[in-house]
Amino acid sequence: MKLLIGQILPFITITIFVLGVFYRLGRWVGARIVHNVTLSDPWLKSGGEVAVKIGTEAFLFRSLFKFDKALWAGAFIMHFALLNVLGGHVVGFGLLGEQFAYIPGITAEMSKDASNLLGTVFGIVLFLSIAYLLIRRFSISEVKSISNSSDVVWLVYLLLIVGVGNIMRLFHQFHIEYEPVRDYIVALFTLQPVVGMELLESYFFLTHFLLVQILLIVFPFSKLMHLFGMFAERWIVNRVYHDPAPGMPNIDIPAARKAGLGLPSGGGGESASEGV
Amino acid sequence: MAEYKGMAQPSRAGEKDMRKIHMEPIPDELKPEKALEYLDEYRKKFRSFVMAMESCTKCGQCAENCHTYLGTRDPNNIPTNRAELIRKIYRRYFTLEGRWFGNLVGAEDISLDVIEQWYSYFWQCSECRRCAHVCPFGIDTCEVTMAGRQILHWLGITPKLHADVGGAMEKVGNHTGLPKPGIIDTLEFMAEECMDEFGIDIEFPVDKPDADIMYVPSSADFLLNPYTLMGAGMFFKYIGANWTIPSTVTEAGNFGLLFDQRYTQRHNVMRLLNAAQNLNVKKIVWGECGHGWRAAKMYVPSLADRPIRWDITHLHDEVAYLINTNQLKLDPSKNSKPTTLHDPCNYVRACGLNDNMRTCIKASVANYVEMSPNGADNFCCGGGSGILFDDKEMYQKRIELSWKKAEQVRATGIGKDGNGILCAPCSICKAQLYPMVEEHDLGVEVKGLIDLVGMALDFK
Repeated sequence: MKLLIGQILPFITITIFVLGVFYRLGRWVGARIVHNVTLSDPWLKSGGEVAVKIGTEAFLFRSLFKFDKALWAGAFIMHFALLNVLGGHVVGFGLLGEQFAYIPGITAEMSKDASNLLGTVFGIVLFLSIAYLLIRRFSISEVKSISNSSDVVWLVYLLLIVGVGNIMRLFHQFHIEYEPVRDYIVALFTLQPVVGMELLESYFFLTHFLLVQILLIVFPFSKLMHLFGMFAERWIVNRVYHDPAPGMPNIDIPAARKAGLGLPSGGGGESASEGV
Repeated sequence: MAEYKGMAQPSRAGEKDMRKIHMEPIPDELKPEKALEYLDEYRKKFRSFVMAMESCTKCGQCAENCHTYLGTRDPNNIPTNRAELIRKIYRRYFTLEGRWFGNLVGAEDISLDVIEQWYSYFWQCSECRRCAHVCPFGIDTCEVTMAGRQILHWLGITPKLHADVGGAMEKVGNHTGLPKPGIIDTLEFMAEECMDEFGIDIEFPVDKPDADIMYVPSSADFLLNPYTLMGAGMFFKYIGANWTIPSTVTEAGNFGLLFDQRYTQRHNVMRLLNAAQNLNVKKIVWGECGHGWRAAKMYVPSLADRPIRWDITHLHDEVAYLINTNQLKLDPSKNSKPTTLHDPCNYVRACGLNDNMRTCIKASVANYVEMSPNGADNFCCGGGSGILFDDKEMYQKRIELSWKKAEQVRATGIGKDGNGILCAPCSICKAQLYPMVEEHDLGVEVKGLIDLVGMALDFK
């Protein structure tokens, strides 16, 4: 079992994740943007404006902020914490918590402390913000009425993953050190003889690792694809558009007014038909 | 049939009406399988539809931002739930998660009941795109309504109102069935009216060869909104334009956009381009019609069967340009009543007319009050996409759908003395608001924008 989860499944997971994501992206690309359905709120006039629009929507959740602050708070904090937790996994394990030591004046010890503190804080914030989104799904009648069972299942599933991760961080007896994890992953993916299999003796680590792998396997076939869908959708509705130039051919307003066009004969002096 | 299992539905076109617009109705027992076939075709072609099916996370932001939901409080009118009426079928047949997990992810088998549900709810949506505007991902639920209506049309299920409009357009070139002699008579009458009421001497050239400008008015302006046509007539006279109205296209609207984007919409585009070529005009200027302007500005390029030789602009773009360059003398004191502007959804969210409309109205009225929210954030009048049904159940819905608009107008305070002007520069908005300002007792009169510009023009 540990052999399966620790040494075989990771390769299956990555293969399905990558191929699955390409399959979904391929489905999207296969259908075309047939008509111009750009939103004029307002027109975007250059590639820079498009980048700012899509960027502020993707990274600051601009529309949510504008129209629903409570949802924005939950969604933004959750995604921000998630980004930091994922980034923390990469640099924490990759550089053994010494990532901040690259900043002049910070020692390796200080960096490890900072890494621990940030990891702990973001782990807790992530857990709480997901819980908030879950409660929101039940407490707001509209949101409840639009939710499918899977929407709830995903939030509970994420709570489980994050919860188990937090237990490993918060309770000393379940703590996992950076170094064996790094060695295990490096060995696994450089196809070296596997080291650090004793990590899987910890049921918390085993559970966390397995749940994440299942998530990655299902990811391409689920709503989690909104990570990419967000950009694909915005690519359709936020495009550069230029209005055709205004101005009507062959009009001479001063001449028309001088001729008194529209004023009844006699009232405007000259004949109304002159300028036509 | 105005109801199906408790769901309100517009009365539908009969088989004869459908054949007039070149659709052969599908028998009921074949409808489910055919619906799947058409859905499959549609999803393979339109990415905007696929993304609406595949990227929603059900955050619920769209609910409180949809006037249809706010007015009816029917959960199926929450934009994402309305899309879910198709999405549940899409998932079941066209996604792996739907095939594997079924009910857990909200997948459902197709049935005649589902198709009837589509007919009820996709014809309560105004295609106003406020949900697309507020959605964090920009999911355009309007594209789903369009897909639903297209599939229904192919199945032979189309509201009688829309099918008749399609038939009339093909027969005479406008939605109201007004033939050329009627058009000329009406225009002569309007010119006389203009003289009597404003003392301005205008004429409406019809089919004038080699005119510089082809003006495409809404056919409703001939019958319901005469001041809109008179306003345009006065404007063109004021600037001394060599303009004409084509008798073959006396219609700014294109209901094809709303129920059949293949045959009906495409043929109206050909009709327009043929008229421009036959009259040898230099530019096409569009009249007051929201969906029609979107169809002309945004869909003519992708539906035309030939290179397009004419720039197409909106009358309000042209007026605003002349105001901005100080070429028009306008006297706002001629329009002194308290006035607010209802932004037609297609103008502000699909055509970028927001600023230009404001340029026109602020220069033409003395007492302008901005509605809140406005511009791209504005709410629909409740009639969007021509859901102007008169059968009892649907008329009740129209009152509910205009509830948010009524609240907005009331909040401006312009109607408190019973003499407010609600400027709604779109024929469908006007047709919806004429009765609705009475139903909601708003104390305002509904007018177009070029009406106000025309009246403010200083001819002296």
